[in-house]
Amino acid sequence: MKALDIIFGLALAIGGLLVPLSGDAYLMGLVFQLAMWIALAQSWSMLSSTTGYLSLGHAVFYGIGAYVCVLLTGVVPFGVALAAGAAASAVFAGLIGLPVLRVQGPYFVILTYGLAELVRNVVMRIESALGSFGRMIFMVPSFEVLVWCMVALGILATLGAAAVRHSALGAGLAAIRENEVAAETVGVPVARLKLLAFVASATIPGAVGGLALLRTGYFEPAQAFDPVISFTIVTMALVGGTETVRGPVLGALGFTLLSEALWSSLPQLYMIVLGLTLIAFILFVPRGLSGLADRALGRG
Amino acid sequence: MDTLLSGQLLFAALVSGSLYALIALGLNLVYGTLRLLNIAHGDLVMIGAYTAFWLFTLLSIPPVVSFFVAAALCALLGWAVYEGMFRRLLANPGLAKRVEANSLILFYGISVILQNLTALAFTSSSRGYQYLDTVITWQGVSMTGNRLLSLGVAGGICIAALLFLRFHLFGWELRAVIQRREAAQIVGVNLNRVQPIIICAGFAIAGIAGVLVSMTEQITPFMGFPFTIIAFVVIIIGGLGNIGAGVLAGLSLGLIETYGVALTSPGYRSILIYGLFVAVLLIRPEGIFTKAVRS
Amino acid sequence: MKTTRRLACAALGAAAALSVAGAAWAADPIRIGYSMARTGIFAAAAPSQENPYELWKEQVNAAGGLELPGGEKRPVEFVSYDDQSNPANTVRIYEKLITQDKVDLLAAPWGTPMHLALAPVLQRYKFPMVGNTAASVQLRKVAPGYIWFPTSAIPDAMGPALAEMMAANGITSAAIIANELPYAQEFRSFLLPALKEKGIEVVMDESYPPDIKDMTSSLVQIRDKAPDAVIAMTYPSDAFLFAGQAKELGLKSPFVLSLIGPTIDAYRKVFGSAADGIIASAHWSPEATEWTRGKAFFDAYVAKFGEEPDALDSALSYMSLEILQQAVAKAGLDHEALREAIATGTFDTINGEVKFDGVQNDVTPTGFVQIQDGKIELVWPESIKTSDYQPKQGW
Repeated sequence: MKALDIIFGLALAIGGLLVPLSGDAYLMGLVFQLAMWIALAQSWSMLSSTTGYLSLGHAVFYGIGAYVCVLLTGVVPFGVALAAGAAASAVFAGLIGLPVLRVQGPYFVILTYGLAELVRNVVMRIESALGSFGRMIFMVPSFEVLVWCMVALGILATLGAAAVRHSALGAGLAAIRENEVAAETVGVPVARLKLLAFVASATIPGAVGGLALLRTGYFEPAQAFDPVISFTIVTMALVGGTETVRGPVLGALGFTLLSEALWSSLPQLYMIVLGLTLIAFILFVPRGLSGLADRALGRG
Repeated sequence: MDTLLSGQLLFAALVSGSLYALIALGLNLVYGTLRLLNIAHGDLVMIGAYTAFWLFTLLSIPPVVSFFVAAALCALLGWAVYEGMFRRLLANPGLAKRVEANSLILFYGISVILQNLTALAFTSSSRGYQYLDTVITWQGVSMTGNRLLSLGVAGGICIAALLFLRFHLFGWELRAVIQRREAAQIVGVNLNRVQPIIICAGFAIAGIAGVLVSMTEQITPFMGFPFTIIAFVVIIIGGLGNIGAGVLAGLSLGLIETYGVALTSPGYRSILIYGLFVAVLLIRPEGIFTKAVRS
Repeated sequence: MKTTRRLACAALGAAAALSVAGAAWAADPIRIGYSMARTGIFAAAAPSQENPYELWKEQVNAAGGLELPGGEKRPVEFVSYDDQSNPANTVRIYEKLITQDKVDLLAAPWGTPMHLALAPVLQRYKFPMVGNTAASVQLRKVAPGYIWFPTSAIPDAMGPALAEMMAANGITSAAIIANELPYAQEFRSFLLPALKEKGIEVVMDESYPPDIKDMTSSLVQIRDKAPDAVIAMTYPSDAFLFAGQAKELGLKSPFVLSLIGPTIDAYRKVFGSAADGIIASAHWSPEATEWTRGKAFFDAYVAKFGEEPDALDSALSYMSLEILQQAVAKAGLDHEALREAIATGTFDTINGEVKFDGVQNDVTPTGFVQIQDGKIELVWPESIKTSDYQPKQGW
């Protein structure tokens, strides 16, 4: 099964990297979208699947990355701007991590959401105080380059998630998920591990936010911090399944392709069908697409 | 300074505060008894608002009557949702273990469906109607009729709910379920009876709140989400599942918002609210109106 | 009753859309693609744009189709997708429309961010599109080429125009409250210096977040300061809040502006006569008799949709298709010829004559409308006004 996963992952990665050579704008757009959601869901899983701390505020990292990137574009090369976006998200996560991760269960879910909204409102206030009314970026790199970068982020996030899971860090995080108090008692450095996972899960979304912004060329806080981003990430990760590294990939793939198919065939009904699919998955396929794949391949 | 002490500001604070308390009451009941994070709560407010709008526009039925229709409609929806989904979810230990995550996503699905069905049926154009908008002035305080009605209804329901919880036998059962779920079952509380009633009641309250909102705001299929958020802010400040504290917190939020804005500037309104919300969660996640009971 | 009929219509419509997709048209149709914010934060505004599209299509097809050079007429068919109010989706949809669906023409999506995100795509594929519901000084930074903006409600022109209108009506003091969203803040930044230049004193200047739920404290201050003018730079959702609470507090100022919102049909239904006297941003009115097509558009719209068109967005949306229609009649479907025709032509629209200079319409003057007896009347500037400005007489 390992081998199959790796072959599947490699095929996806190579396919993604080759698509820009085709010059087909529609296909590139699709791959960009896919890679973006894989990167985001995979990053989210580094914290939330491993520890069970369910973040409903990952839009904040995406938004911070986008904001830093738009401030720096034109000042520094775009690669540097992206890296700065990722770094800013990581620093932000590092700063708020300790107090935030003391909060547990449903409180953590709601807290992360509230934090994202708070930051969104602060950025909005700053922007209006600066007299800026939405920022436009000119001179963005070609779309091919953006697609390559996004696919690279998707790969990086997947490798990162695999590394987190299969390391001592992952073992510690799993212990936290099962029983945090017990883990602490037996000497797992709970606070440090959680913080590490939090920072790791915040970094790539920062760069993703920057790239997504370069794609549209226009920044507005209300959109960069859109809570729908947070919801979509959680949805994809759960639909994919939280038990394996392949889960978020399958979730992002399944969700994006399904909405793509519905979106053009049922323009009026597709959101409703998506909602129904979501409900059906939670109720009937609790282990997600990943579990479904196991069963289909006769393992389970 | 004069403004700060005026009855006008107090009236405004009470109108928003009572509405916040009412919306949060429904959410808190559902969370308290079932541990479900109802992200679709605001969409029930939207359903209530559309009910009032269509009844008024097509049949000239005034909102005072629509309260009952909206409440019944939303309660029915609550019953359907419970029977169709949550009975299964709560009965399955595997699913119930992650009930927070699962209910969040389930309700997100419900929210998406409700919003888009409404948009499909009624288009997403803004709607509105004119009802009870004469302004009454009393002791120098101007009050629009519909806002006064909103204050009365929201305040009345909140007080009634609190009294019910305190004095009615079923209210006791309910509090028992909220506070000690397992223990309540042992002493003979029938969860299968309590849970559907509560989810219906919680949904019905949201529907009533929707009728109130419809009198003063524009109605669209996507109007619900801000109400969900404000309800979460309120029940966090009060303490998740603590009904009485939630009502108090709703009222307080109205006061904090109105006076906070008056003391600083409206520009800080949302920063203030979310800042308070985050601060409470970080410092005192059990809520500021809840006595810390820790086992 | 009406509800069930609507439901039935929606269901039938969906079924029809599915079957049409399969079947071929009798005459080879001209396919026009666009994306629409049917869901998400802009969804409430989408019908004000999509309804005029539908009306236009119906009218064109009833007249035998869209006319090409040489008089040939072909029916019009729409290909549209939901962009969920997300500019990234808008970009993808237009790429799909151009490269996969291979539509013949494009119509505009909703909103400024979408238009701005789209400009480079149109440039890349050399595909001309007439924009509509975008208004921002940022538009002026867009390189001229394949996109045009018929609006004249651009803040750097509106600021001075409003100040001039206020001065002309003897206003000497004003209070400003502004939403923090970009369009309102842009307008505010151009209005403040213009007011100063005209010697109008600003007694209050506050901004508020888009999710504001209560304006009492600001409005009580305004009531106590009693300025001649209240300039509320609202978006639709807070426009309702503003009017409701201003009425409650009985603001006495004779000049009351609410930026976006009052031209929406529901606004007048909610506030009735209390809305009379409120000024808003728009440069079109059905009452303008010299724009003969305007009244016809208004009547057809009301007959088809049972509500009035938004004087700002619905008018702009319809205009953008009128421009496209006239350009196609002259230049056909070839993109370069069409671009040339749009860039250099003069068009006759429901909003009078339109001609582009670069990306902007340089004919239609920046205007303001006032609700008078429940009707939208143009009160500024002199050249296009349909009625005189009237001080607001209570709520």
